[in-house]
This record gives sequence, C-alpha cells and structure tokens, in this order.
Amino acid sequence: MTKSKRTALWIFFLLVACVQLFPLVWLTDFSLVESSEFFSEKVLVWPDSIKWDNYINAWVDGNFLHYLWNSVFVSFVTIVLTVIVSISMAYAFTRMNWKWRPFFYAVILLGIMIPIHATLLPNFSIFKSLGLTNSYWGLILPYTSVSVPFSTFILTGFMRSIPVEIEESGVMDGASIYRIVFQLILPLTMPAVVTVAVTTFLNCWNEFIMAYTFISDERFKTLPFSVMNFAGQYSSDYGSQFAVMVLTSIPAIIIYAMFNEKITKGVMAGAVKG
Amino acid sequence: MHKVLNDRLAIFLFVFPGLAFFVLTFVAPIILSGYYSFTETLAPGTPVKMVGFSNFTEILFHDERFWLSLRNALLLGLGFVVIQHPICILFAIMLDRIGGKAEKWFRTIFFIPCVISVVVISRMWLSVLDPTFGIANKVLASIGLSDLQHAWLGDASTALGSLLSILIWSGFGWGLLFYYAGVKGIPADMYEAARLDGASGFKLHWRITVPLLSPVITVQITLAVITALKQMETVFLTTNGGPGDSTQFLAVYLYNQAFSASNYGYANAISILFILVCLIITFVLNKLTKNKNLDF
Repeated sequence: MTKSKRTALWIFFLLVACVQLFPLVWLTDFSLVESSEFFSEKVLVWPDSIKWDNYINAWVDGNFLHYLWNSVFVSFVTIVLTVIVSISMAYAFTRMNWKWRPFFYAVILLGIMIPIHATLLPNFSIFKSLGLTNSYWGLILPYTSVSVPFSTFILTGFMRSIPVEIEESGVMDGASIYRIVFQLILPLTMPAVVTVAVTTFLNCWNEFIMAYTFISDERFKTLPFSVMNFAGQYSSDYGSQFAVMVLTSIPAIIIYAMFNEKITKGVMAGAVKG
Repeated sequence: MHKVLNDRLAIFLFVFPGLAFFVLTFVAPIILSGYYSFTETLAPGTPVKMVGFSNFTEILFHDERFWLSLRNALLLGLGFVVIQHPICILFAIMLDRIGGKAEKWFRTIFFIPCVISVVVISRMWLSVLDPTFGIANKVLASIGLSDLQHAWLGDASTALGSLLSILIWSGFGWGLLFYYAGVKGIPADMYEAARLDGASGFKLHWRITVPLLSPVITVQITLAVITALKQMETVFLTTNGGPGDSTQFLAVYLYNQAFSASNYGYANAISILFILVCLIITFVLNKLTKNKNLDF
C-alpha cells in the first residue's frame, strides 16, 4: 500500500472514530456542566467552571459504591463459576470418549440460540418459589447459565488445537484426570479463558433485564439500576444523570483497555475455527 | 491414556454441572412456560384455568401485534445484514490493510461502544435524539438542515430506523472483530497468487477476501438475524414498543403482556412461539447457507 493511500485511510478512520465516539464525548462533556446548558444551541460546551456537584450527586445520592460492589461481586462469582463449568465441559466434549457426546454438545449450543427473554417469565416463577429472587444467587445462577454455552463453544474450539501428547505425558506421570484438566489444560487454554472471562464480565456488568425482573430489593441491585433509579430521582437534573452514566461506564472501559488484545486473540483463536 | 479418557465418573462430573445450569435456566422454564401457555392466568401464583389451545389460536390468527413484532424483527435483521455487515467487512479489510500501530489503535477504538452498558446506551441515545435538547437536532441545525429536525424516536415513521441506527452503532465493534479475525486468517499467498493473475484493489478483495470469508459471513448472518429476533433491552428502555407498536418486538410484547397487562398465560404462549421461531429460523438459515458451524 502506498504512503498516500495509507494516509487517506488514516484520515478516514479518524473521521469515522470521531463520529462514532461523538455521543460518548457529548455525554462526558455535558456531565460536567449545569443542566441549563442543555438547552443552549451549542453542540459541545467548554465549562467555565467544572460542575463537580454532578459527580458528587451521582456518587453519594446515586449510592454508587453500593451498586459497584454488587456488580463486582456478582460478576466475579459468575466468571469463576463459568470458567470452571465450561472448561470441564469443553474437555469432556473434545477429549473424552462417550456415546452421547455429540448430542449433549448440540444441546448446550442450543443455549446460544434460545432467547433468554422467553424464559424470563417462567424463571421468575421458579426463582420465586425457590426463594432465589432478591438474592445474589438470583443473578449469579442465570448469568452463569447464559454464559456457559458461548464459553463452552469458544473453549472447545481452542482445546481442539492443543496437541494430545501433553496429556499423554501427564498420564505417564500418573496424574489424575482432574489434575490433567486443571493443572495441565487450564494453563494452556489461558488465552481462550481470558476471552471467556472478559466477555462474561462485560455481559454481567451490563446485564439489565434479568436483574430488573428478579431483583427488587435495594440490597442486591447492580450498577445498571443506579442509572435507572437516578433517572427517576433526578429526572430534570440531566447533568447528574449523565455523571452516573459516565461513572458506570468507566470500570468496563478500564477492563477493556487492559484486556483488549486478549479479546481479539481469543476471538481469532476460537470463533473463527468454530 | 485410553482408560483415563473413558472414566465414566469423570465424564459425569465434568458434564453434570453445566447440564444442571442448562436445565435450571432453559429446560425447566420452557416446560413451565409450556404448561402456562395452555392456561388463562393473570399473574404467577394466581388461580389457573386450563383453556387448551385458545391462546395459540388467538395469537396466530387474531393478534396483529404478534405478527407486527415478528415483521419488525425481520426488518431489523435485514437492516443488520444489508447495512451493518457490509460495513463491518469493509472496515475489517481496511484495518488489515492499514497495518502497524494504526491497525491496533483503531481496532481498539471502534470496539469501545460494545463495552458500554445497554442502560447507558439507551438513556444516552434517548438524550441524543431528544426533540428539545438532543444533540442530533442541534447538529442538523448547525449544518443548515433544520428542516430535518425531528422527534426521532417519537415518530412512528422514523422510530424503527432510529432504533436500527442505535443498534448498528452499539454492535458495530463485535461484527468488525469477527470479520477482522476472519481476514487475518486468510494466508498471504492467496493474495500473491491473485496478484499474479492481475487482480488488484477492490477486485482482489471481491474475488479473494469475500469468498474466503464466507464461513464467517454465514455464521455472522445467522447470529445477526437471531440478535434481531432477541432484541429487547434497547427497545424496552427507549420506546417500549411505541409509538403505536411501530417498534414492537416479541420479547418486549410478552414482557408487557405478563407484567403490565396481567396476561401471564397468554404471555407464556408468546414465549413458546418465540422460542420456536428462533429455532426454526436458525435451522432454515443453516440449511440455506449450508453452514456447518452451528449445525444441530
């Protein structure tokens, strides 16, 4: 590719990126100003004095730390459960010999296609009768179930590319099957595990409708609720509303910035081969 | 080795937890939903009256909203396939061509909307498209197109299109990433061979890249249509199906039937049909595209 062509492409990408990120820039910009500025003609404003009050409202009245802790806790437990469950299933699907293997693999993959929204209503009844609504498990169980099919799919694809010889040497050394999976295979599948962990994190962090249906107790609500609650409470204070949205987005963006190479590598290794 | 890999107990322990999760959140609810779909029930826990197939005949033959929801989902899916995916493929190829630091930087930037919560996305776009203080109308005014100013989500003629734009914006990164992974998987000597034959530029990519991407494209198209069918949160949080059902989707419709209109039995019948529609469409698309990757 010639230099001029590359420069043209560079400028084009830069323009697209500006347009694409513009709503987010606008959101951040207006989270720093008085709500009255919203009705000015200006597209973006340069704040004379930054209105930190918006962020103080969001942090204190929005009960941000409380929701943040719930989101972190629920996401963390879900990730650990998803990885353990998916890696052991993926191992049974790729390496072990059993008759019903293709059948159960197909069944689990169906989980990617079945809309969770169609299971919301009956799940609400089931969780209610099991006493799971308004508890952390009422979020962790469905989140794990929803994450497992896709994670198993990615891990199965990745595991197929690992040579069997490694396990053979493990067997020679007299390691049990459980040690082989969690001490030999797990480190080797790390790139795919990171992908699975990060996508599961993003899904849990951002999930709304199940939390909205299964949780009504303040104690267990997660971050997306803080945005909703706040919108009701501060319905005309747009600046503070925007501040809550910015605060909610920051952790996910940081995690993404840290792991973005891994997500790309994982998708390249897993999803393409299928 | 053979003995270790035939260990029945180990297989059971490896597969059982995953299946238990699957049964708890997919199989059991669907069975329960099946039961409720034959009843007239106001809400979970209230008296149940068996009514046979009447919910289903009502939905299939008399419920215009059900068909409207399905039509909207298919239009949205068509929008994804015709607008979003060609853009993703084009950008994936260009990203691969630009190379160096720019490749990495832009790949990272383009993905950012994908990590933002659906609640934030929805509320943000509600503000962007707001008729009084929204930035969309201000931008139009500032470039002299005030005539186009509009209550984008409040007008039945533009609501579905606005929704499509929001979803394209938020889903662009994932599509791009999958196609980019596909482009990276194409061996360089394929291009060399085509160049020797005299192909270059657009023609080169049309004849080499796109056909070699076809396995990725088929999976992605199936997933796009399923995503359109499953669409719920963004609609629920922006238009909630309105105005006048112009953005009605199955998931939103059944949710409101169950929790706002107190038609729990009827809503469950919609759920059952919803699942069937998803599975049938997946099956048909797999047959049409001869896709092996998601074949059941």
